[in-house]
Amino acid sequence: MPRAQLKRRVLLASLLCMLLLASLILSACSKDTTDVVVSGSTTVEPIAEVAGEDYGKAHPNVSILVSGLGSSAGIEAVGVTKTADIGTSSRELKGSELKLGLKVIPIAHDGIAVVVNPANTVRNLSMSDLRAIFAGKITNWKEVGGPDEPITLVNRDESSGTRDAFTSFVMGDTPFEINAVVLPGTGQVREVIRRTKGAIGYISEGFVKGDVRALSINGITPSAANISSEKYPLSRSLYFLTRADPSPEAQDYINYVLSDAIQEGAVRDAGYLPIKIKSGDK
Amino acid sequence: MTPSVTLRTPDKAPTAVPQQHKKAELTLVSRSTQIKERALSLLFFLCAIVAVLGVVLIFAFVAVRAVPLFKQIGFLNFIAGTKWSVANSQFGVVPFIVGSVVVTAGALAIGAPLAILTALFLSEIAGPRARAVIRPAVELLAGIPSVVYGFFGVTVVAPLVGRMFGGAGFGPLTAWIVLSIMIVPTISMLSEDALDSIPMGIREASFAMGATQWQTIYKVVLPAAKIGIIDATILGMGRAIGETMAVLMIVGNAPQMFAGLTKPIATLTSQIVLGMSYATPGAFQTALFGMAALLFIISMGLVLTVRILSRGKRGTYDA
Repeated sequence: MPRAQLKRRVLLASLLCMLLLASLILSACSKDTTDVVVSGSTTVEPIAEVAGEDYGKAHPNVSILVSGLGSSAGIEAVGVTKTADIGTSSRELKGSELKLGLKVIPIAHDGIAVVVNPANTVRNLSMSDLRAIFAGKITNWKEVGGPDEPITLVNRDESSGTRDAFTSFVMGDTPFEINAVVLPGTGQVREVIRRTKGAIGYISEGFVKGDVRALSINGITPSAANISSEKYPLSRSLYFLTRADPSPEAQDYINYVLSDAIQEGAVRDAGYLPIKIKSGDK
Repeated sequence: MTPSVTLRTPDKAPTAVPQQHKKAELTLVSRSTQIKERALSLLFFLCAIVAVLGVVLIFAFVAVRAVPLFKQIGFLNFIAGTKWSVANSQFGVVPFIVGSVVVTAGALAIGAPLAILTALFLSEIAGPRARAVIRPAVELLAGIPSVVYGFFGVTVVAPLVGRMFGGAGFGPLTAWIVLSIMIVPTISMLSEDALDSIPMGIREASFAMGATQWQTIYKVVLPAAKIGIIDATILGMGRAIGETMAVLMIVGNAPQMFAGLTKPIATLTSQIVLGMSYATPGAFQTALFGMAALLFIISMGLVLTVRILSRGKRGTYDA
């Protein structure tokens, strides 16, 4: 057989193989399942993700598709563009979002801890001192009873739900000092606080580990009990949002997220508190 | 429009083959070959046009989305404004322009000499064995993804800078260190090309006159390759000014004016990325597109400079 002809055959054969493969992949995708699209807060994402995987294993005909775009995007996806079945949010609805007719389902509690370097001797800040620090009015730890050490501010980027919550809890209309380091992630904030002596920042309570110290605010420690009772001033809830008539699959998935399996599992693993607080919690 | 046909037919054959001569023509170049040739040249043309189309489309897209800027923000408020605060609808980009310039200039000041000396060593001094080790290493440096550079900056350089100068270690100094390493391969590989393209005779003439190696490099080779090296530096500058991921991770992203080498700042690119994830349609999004357009214009200017300089080069020694 001439070389050219052989080459052509090989080409043809490989083309056929590719077609076969493509059709296989396509058919695998288009098998008979119902999609439940969950999108929104990156804070809620890990919970929704784990719950989605577990739920999918028990219900092979339903696939839960989770994406994290930020709370605002999640609310828009479920309420305006209707591209999601369930929106997730780490903040309450505000402004025009209240008029979308969304059902709001709290799924977990979260407290925002104000964290400092473990070497810092300050243990408590008043709300007004905290605000003054992040507004750049207090710039040295000695002004709040600490060592003579300049304060290094660590802030989150403006798309962060945690920053949103911190703004509404602490700052109000007071603008943030703009010379703060802006970091796009909880892990990075914790890492920088851990290694920087005069640093202060804020992260979800569930992500506080031994290498950074959480301060009490107005004398109230960010303990589980104080957060779920919302006694701690920087407490918030995480929400699922649906339109008035969620599909049965979506509703079933939500019920699963609210069940003990997820509440005591994924919710706690992600650093948050279950929505139903048990008496045994500290 | 049948250029490929005429190439293979003998001189006497007419350019366009009339229908009745088809048989005769087939013996020279078969119809299928003819079609294949034409299809191939079309394919190559289409591939080439994709790049042109890409540039035009992206620029048009960015420009169209940036145009409302004149109405929503005001051109002067945008380009000369010194305050950036999304919450207060202030979209002045001067802090970011200053940030980009500071970061780029510093990276060049450190990176360019490093790279040019590397290129000189590789081209003029190094023996084959040293070259066999150093050149792949430099090339490898070019292949490292920028997020890895950023990671290196966050975990190694920033803590070091923080420990030495106080604070968290984010800011221009950290960016300079990381970016200068990043642009070394771009500048050094292109500079080496420029050095290698210098005819050996020039060096031989210099040595024959009794010049030492250093004198030859300094007085003969460098001036001859000057424009090629400047080209390389400008391209390295383009790389530095457009770098996003690594910069985002190490400059600190504070939308303030340059306040010191270890104080956080933000650049055009890093601010676009930070804003992108939550920008709602309106003035904010428009401002981001305006910044993108600004970057586009800057890099266009850089490419143009390279082109103009390269045109001059041909006159100096290639003739």
